[in-house]
Amino acid sequence: MTTLTAPPATTAGPAPRRVLRKTLAYVALIAATVLVVLPLGWMVSSSLKRNNQVFTIPIEWIPREFRWSNYVEIWQQIPMATYLGNSTFLAVTITFLQVLTGSFAAYGFAKVRFPGRDGLFLAYIATIAVPWQAYMVPQYIMMQQVDLINTHLSIILLQAFGAFGVFLMRQYYLSIPDELCEAARIDGLSEYGIYRRIMLPLSKPALASLALLTFVNTWNDYMGPFIYLTSNELWTVQLGLRSFVGQYQADYAMIMTGAVLSVLPVMVIFLFGQRYFIQGIATSGLKG
Amino acid sequence: MIATNPPAKVRVRRHLVKTLAVTASLALAVAACGGDTQETAEGGGSTTLTVTVWNLAKTPEFNALFQAFEKANPGVKIQPVDILADDYPEKVTTMLAGGDKTDVITQKNVTDYSRYSSRGQLLDITDMVKSMDTSKLAGLDAFNVNDSYYALPYRQDFWLLYYNKGLFEKAGIKLDGVMTWDDYAKHAAALTQGDGNKKVYGTYHHTWRSVIQAISAAQTGGDQLGGDYGFFADQYNMALNLQKNGHALDFGTATAQQADYRTMFETGATAMMPMGTWYISGILEAKEKGESQVDWGLAPMPQRPGSSEVVTFGSPTAFAVNKRSENQELAKKFVQFAAGKEGAEAITKVGVVPALQDPAITEAYFSLKGMPTDELSKKAFEPDKVVLEMPVSDKTSDVDTILNEEHQLIMVGDKTVQQGIKSMNDRVKSEVLN
Amino acid sequence: MAHVMTQPAQTAPSEPRAPRRRRPWRNTLIGWSFILPNFLGFALFTLVPVLAAFALAFMDWDSYSTPEWVGLDNFERLWGDENFHVALRNTIYYAVGHIPLTMIAALALAMALNRKLRGVEFFRTAAFFPYVTSLVAVAVVWNMLFNPTAGPVNLFLETIGISDPPRWTASTDWAMPAVIITSVWRDMGYYMVLFLAGLQTIPREYYEAAKVDGANAWHRFWSITLPSLRPTTFFVLVMLTIQSFKVLDLIVVMTDGGPGRSTLVLAQLVYREGIREGQFGYSSAIALVLFLIVFLVTVIQFRINERRSS
Repeated sequence: MTTLTAPPATTAGPAPRRVLRKTLAYVALIAATVLVVLPLGWMVSSSLKRNNQVFTIPIEWIPREFRWSNYVEIWQQIPMATYLGNSTFLAVTITFLQVLTGSFAAYGFAKVRFPGRDGLFLAYIATIAVPWQAYMVPQYIMMQQVDLINTHLSIILLQAFGAFGVFLMRQYYLSIPDELCEAARIDGLSEYGIYRRIMLPLSKPALASLALLTFVNTWNDYMGPFIYLTSNELWTVQLGLRSFVGQYQADYAMIMTGAVLSVLPVMVIFLFGQRYFIQGIATSGLKG
Repeated sequence: MIATNPPAKVRVRRHLVKTLAVTASLALAVAACGGDTQETAEGGGSTTLTVTVWNLAKTPEFNALFQAFEKANPGVKIQPVDILADDYPEKVTTMLAGGDKTDVITQKNVTDYSRYSSRGQLLDITDMVKSMDTSKLAGLDAFNVNDSYYALPYRQDFWLLYYNKGLFEKAGIKLDGVMTWDDYAKHAAALTQGDGNKKVYGTYHHTWRSVIQAISAAQTGGDQLGGDYGFFADQYNMALNLQKNGHALDFGTATAQQADYRTMFETGATAMMPMGTWYISGILEAKEKGESQVDWGLAPMPQRPGSSEVVTFGSPTAFAVNKRSENQELAKKFVQFAAGKEGAEAITKVGVVPALQDPAITEAYFSLKGMPTDELSKKAFEPDKVVLEMPVSDKTSDVDTILNEEHQLIMVGDKTVQQGIKSMNDRVKSEVLN
Repeated sequence: MAHVMTQPAQTAPSEPRAPRRRRPWRNTLIGWSFILPNFLGFALFTLVPVLAAFALAFMDWDSYSTPEWVGLDNFERLWGDENFHVALRNTIYYAVGHIPLTMIAALALAMALNRKLRGVEFFRTAAFFPYVTSLVAVAVVWNMLFNPTAGPVNLFLETIGISDPPRWTASTDWAMPAVIITSVWRDMGYYMVLFLAGLQTIPREYYEAAKVDGANAWHRFWSITLPSLRPTTFFVLVMLTIQSFKVLDLIVVMTDGGPGRSTLVLAQLVYREGIREGQFGYSSAIALVLFLIVFLVTVIQFRINERRSS
């Protein structure tokens, strides 16, 4: 494959037009960033206020007094460290199981031909369409019968085997050419071998994005832990935050302080995990 | 990269075995962990009582009651089941559906109570109620279901008017008795000043429909389940006028910005505010922590012209016994304790208004640090009549939804008062009463 | 040397050229062995309760007493319930607005940020902020932006000449558009991640070859990017559809179905009728109808996708 040295493919106009275009691009980018960061900014600003200053009308973007003490108080008012630990445990475990079983099952759906495969797959996807509120009670009763209420295991079992991961990985596997698998089969590799040595390494971006999205969704999940976790020691961060909402009033400043703390790990993971699903140079494995 | 492999049959068998082994160990792990039961909210022996509560740490009345009960009954331990207030009914419904055995189920409001009692999930305590002296127990009527009782109120909140004494002085208005709604509107006009983020509103109407509808029903004798809502008109007209003239924060902004009534009052953004008595403990705490500098007072709810009594609306909170409880006698004892004198005393100390009405209790309440001591505040605390916020029936929930939806439409100006009331009439009649 | 450039395979793999013919039962066994770990968990903890919920649609149950068989009564009631029709209309309205806008925004973001720019990693993280921001913060800030009198959106609209700007969440006509805009803003980062992963499968060589052949950026997009992205696009489309029909949290926090019923959606009705009212049979019936609609749409999407790729 030869690469000709060709003139740059970008449209090169006269200098001022280029500068204008670049400026416009940056302005647009900055405007978009502001829009995207604004609510986060409100969260941070609220976390530094007194509770009765959060919902002033109109919004006060700069707190009248900066209550950095909120960030210290929150660890004392609720067992934040325990909650963070629980959230981390659940998020990591569920992510690991989702990625593992999901990609494993996805290979079966994508590369192994057997009767009823596509029908079964459709049924998988279809269940995502049912709102959880509809089957929440039957599910709870089932878990009650096997005494799994008020355990972390209940949350793990309920969320680690979702269809989302299967669907995502299957689509990704479909874009890996069959010829690759066929060549491997000819060479005598078993299906499991193909999965481990070819599909997994090639699907790093998908695995990474699945891991990230599963982690975020589990970290932010409220309803599941709310229904199943009764003991305070098992609670997650999201439950901890809501404990500031009382019957008639809520301590929003504390809620936002907790929310900011809760968002930080996710952002860090995203910032540093990006390189796993954005590869510098994509390979197809079919060179030459 | 690809090594030589044993023949196909052996390979498949080997991999199958591997897969089966993995699956089996997974299953064993599940079974093992599943058998390790966490202690759920089940009363251990007969000396531990489990009680559902919301926001245990932020709701001092529960701990106050539990400590008092444990002190009066040595050897008894109360184990609270802490459920987040926001979704309390959802979780309790789910728990009870799953056959939960928590002994005492706290009834957050009368609507939830009517649901649990109608499904037969609560223990019948009529005998116990009949054997008590309940003449001074406010709000008991709300728990009467066909002459049977399934819960006892321990707390009764009713609505009155909070006002900012400092702002009133500045405007030169003196409050010396019960005001009418016309007085109220006039005062609101006089008290409104400033604009932008320095604006002070004359009054603040929170977005709950009760602020307009429940007080109107209580003071006109109208029936909120009746299907004929003409009696709402006066109240809506007054509130909309205030909104239009800028004397009260408009509903659209209040909902969109999630206006917090505590913020409005504690930052001095409003001079008056109709609100429930539960807020008293809130403002006391805010003043003590230095979070607010408002010199506040209480006044009776404004009345309709020509009214000789002070009529307001309210809502009781109660304890009930779970029918599936394995500790029923102790549970009943607790419910009775909470509704009785000792329970009332315990919660008065933390600024909560008990259901038991007694001059001694009122005295104790007003001797709390920070309470306003003027005569008007004391008068506000003893309304002549407290009507239940919303009558209880199996239609309550549906009617409540319809009334709330139309309330929003009237207050944002999507419908006129006439149109809105007509909608309410039509919808309730056709969808609920048919 | 022959240059093997094939289009990435879609749903129809080519015939195996192996000398051994695989017997069907062996394939079934192998296929199932892959699926089993995930399927076991899924079947036990999701499928069974879902089927139970579907069964409940034909019964009357208050979550406590024994369920009573009522046949199609719940569906008759549903058909005559104005709330159901309002919620159905609103849900479809929401989906029709949300799905295309989010797809376009997410794809545009992915394309724009799939390159080596200075600080691109920060911009990608920023695009993801909306999805992880607390819903309360999102609702408060966007309601503020949409404030009819003092909000930036309307101030801007007035400066460009629109004299009577919409009253957004304070009006029944414009509440849903406001919610849709907010939800597109919120979800675009999430789907951007999926598109970014999909874009990684497209080999650079394709683009370079096309450039050599003189194709401009637009042409490259249409003839290389889009076709190669089809599995990802399909996935995003299906997930977006399903999640749009199921929308609940954002609406509850932003408008709670109001003003009036202008933003009431089906999932909200399911929640209300079931958990709040205790009419689990009826709420299951609504959920079943919702499921059937989404299932139908998904099947249609699958068929179209199959036809396109063969």
